[in-house]
Amino acid sequence: MGETSSVIRETEVPAQPHQPDAGMGWRWLDRQFARIAVLPTALTMLAIFGIPLAFSLYLSIEGWSADETLFGGKFAGIANYLVLLTDPDFVASLLLTLGYTVATVAAELALGLGVALLLDLDLPLIGFFRTTLIVPMMMTPIVAALCWKLLLDPDHGIIDYFLGRPIIWLGQPWLALISVGIASVWQNAPFVTILSLAGLRSLPHEPLEAASIDGASRLQSFWHVTLPLLRPYLLVALLLRTIFEFRAFDNVYVMTGGGPANATLLLSVYTYQASFVQFDLSLGAAASWMMLLIALVVCLAFVAVIRKGGTQ
Amino acid sequence: MALQRIGTRRSRIAFAAGAYTALVALLVLFIFPLLWIIGLSFKTRVQTFASPPLFIWTPTLENYIKVLGTGDFQQAFINSLLISVEAVLLSICVGVPAAYAFARFRFAGRNWLFFTLLVMRMLPPIAVLVPMYVLFSKLGLTETRISVVLAYTTFSLPLVVWIMRGFFEELPRELEESAWVDGASRFAAFRAVVLPLVQPGLVAATILCLLLAWNDFIFAAVLTNDATRTLPVLMASYSGDVGVDWGSMTASGVLVVLPVILFSFVAQRHLVAGLSSGAVKG
Repeated sequence: MGETSSVIRETEVPAQPHQPDAGMGWRWLDRQFARIAVLPTALTMLAIFGIPLAFSLYLSIEGWSADETLFGGKFAGIANYLVLLTDPDFVASLLLTLGYTVATVAAELALGLGVALLLDLDLPLIGFFRTTLIVPMMMTPIVAALCWKLLLDPDHGIIDYFLGRPIIWLGQPWLALISVGIASVWQNAPFVTILSLAGLRSLPHEPLEAASIDGASRLQSFWHVTLPLLRPYLLVALLLRTIFEFRAFDNVYVMTGGGPANATLLLSVYTYQASFVQFDLSLGAAASWMMLLIALVVCLAFVAVIRKGGTQ
Repeated sequence: MALQRIGTRRSRIAFAAGAYTALVALLVLFIFPLLWIIGLSFKTRVQTFASPPLFIWTPTLENYIKVLGTGDFQQAFINSLLISVEAVLLSICVGVPAAYAFARFRFAGRNWLFFTLLVMRMLPPIAVLVPMYVLFSKLGLTETRISVVLAYTTFSLPLVVWIMRGFFEELPRELEESAWVDGASRFAAFRAVVLPLVQPGLVAATILCLLLAWNDFIFAAVLTNDATRTLPVLMASYSGDVGVDWGSMTASGVLVVLPVILFSFVAQRHLVAGLSSGAVKG
């Protein structure tokens, strides 16, 4: 963030002698401009973010059920958190989410960057490819997941037809997890492509030309010149994709519902089921606070890395 | 300069051939699933379940006629449209002045507020959804569209502020300064001088927020009922009985996705500007 040169101090703004109807009140009001401009945003944030989060923290330390009045619960302390941490399903879900996030983000970055490198070439028809290859990103995630469910259908799905044998993709733990991951990588790799391509297009020409004159091969040029220059873009893509895969929900909800045998029970799905299927909203609040803290730690770690990269 | 310019002429031709092969393979990977689904939506029930699958057939519109004629789909379409538009309007009205203040003025709590806004964008939606559900149901707001519109501002407001702040920062500050010297108030300078110049930013922010609101599922799944549900919620309700009516399912899927894809083709330049300005700067 930091202060930019375009930021104006209140004292730098000149008085306004020519204002025709400039009464004292109006001028005072105008000097409060920044505060007034920010106020609606601050209030909205308080209403839809601050208060819910505080209330969620309250819920998580209260034994509260849906038929009680808002503050009718009994104090339970960290009981809900202890329940979660001793629940093998929750611990398994936590580890699964971390593994799923790492695997899908790695695949998205590799595939997305690969596609971006191809799209950066100046070949005939490249505009067509640039437009079409990012289409999956625009798709409504629920619809994309539903499409994959049909494509992977063991009886009438086209993928099993091409493979020549019926594979029950969504009925076996590992295959189900891989299927859910594939649907997500297919849909989100284009996002990495867009960011990387924007980065590639804005890179200076000279370093690559110099490397080429010095006789570097394509692989060497990519590894020692392009990749380091692209680092800030890739870090942002890494941050955003990590945050979004960590909260993955839609594809699992449609394709497997968390099953089979909890094989795809990611944290968002666990929290959703605890809160809105078993209707234990206190437990759900505790689970969502744990997710929130993990996400926050990941976020801050990334911001620190990005800042450090920026000052080098 | 791209990697293709490196090497001898012959190696460059080989490189281009390899690149085309890879691009076509990727095109199949990324587009074929979608094309196949679009194809399914133009098949009759018999054609859909034909074995082996039909690659050439006489297309039918019966699925689309059926889907467009059902009250459920019409209602969900209207809900989706109203909720997305309202959420975006709310975020723009609330967020644009704030973005300008963040870009230009110094005030108490500025950095802190901006950081909180970023956190709001980054955190898992389920984290605010659980308490929101309880609070909204006690306020009698669940089962109205307002609850979903409010919930959507958790992602659209930070996005609007983030994108617009970038656009405001790019304007030279001399613009307002000369307006102030001429006697304009800060309100007037903002409205008459600055705002018209950030129209591309407004377009980019609007498009991106519309896209996110139209595509959201998890908020709507919790906060809506049969009367207020949006298209993704309606679509998800089909997922329980895959194998029943593939025609209606694929046709509704295409109807949900197609406006967004067409829209994004038209507005791709803005979309990419919004995505990369929202992501890379700062």
